[in-house]
Amino acid sequence: MTSSEAKAAELFIERYRVGPTDVTKRIERAVIGGDWGANGYTTLAQARKLGTELGLGPGARLLDLGAGQGWPGVYLATATGCEVVLADVPTEGLRSAVARARAEGVAARAVPVSASARRLPFAAGTFDGVAHTDVLC
Amino acid sequence: MLRASRRVLRPGGRTAFYTIHPAAGLTPAQRRRAARSGAPAVSTARPYQDLLAAAGFVRVQRTDCTAAFAATAQAWLTGWDASLAGLAALYGEEFVAERQRRRRIQLRAIGDGLLARSLFTATRP
Repeated sequence: MTSSEAKAAELFIERYRVGPTDVTKRIERAVIGGDWGANGYTTLAQARKLGTELGLGPGARLLDLGAGQGWPGVYLATATGCEVVLADVPTEGLRSAVARARAEGVAARAVPVSASARRLPFAAGTFDGVAHTDVLC
Repeated sequence: MLRASRRVLRPGGRTAFYTIHPAAGLTPAQRRRAARSGAPAVSTARPYQDLLAAAGFVRVQRTDCTAAFAATAQAWLTGWDASLAGLAALYGEEFVAERQRRRRIQLRAIGDGLLARSLFTATRP
């Protein structure tokens, strides 16, 4: 990990430790059209586009790399009915993602895995789609 | 990471991702500035189309999203500027100031045509 990557990782951990709050959700709704704890550039329309491009629907298996607090992986499970594996290194964000999945009623279809995107602990051919958005890799 | 993605996809499975990258046709000096202005991933030396092909993907497509990227980056900057006190109470003043400083650097690089953001899609054969 380079020094800039380490610094970026520290910033993310700081965010996840705090978690989504009223002020951050209000800004996020205005900026990207959602309140999923996102801090990147993937708008609601762009998240929907991922679902379309990957042909997601009930029964489809999605891997979301760098899943953060659930944007867009948990959103896509909610919106399309797909199953999602949420992979990320900081477990702080995944805890928020799982809490959101529970609140959305999709916890049975949203599984968190603490893993690096470079060494994925899955058998070959496990997924129908792989998505990521502005991940640090 | 792209090779790992290909391995875990079933034949016919697809990957789709948004990423920030240097604009095409930059000089070496401009590329260095682009890399300094964006996320660490921006430092990738080759176009993502080439990386996807080298990782064994087919039907590689790119859709430019730079205009939306600029609008969203500006909206984050403006949204945070309007709530500085509340955000500083959450994260501390230093964190907030650093985030906003980096956002301004990134916005200048987008405006100068150095940074782009695209949707890439590809299929595992």
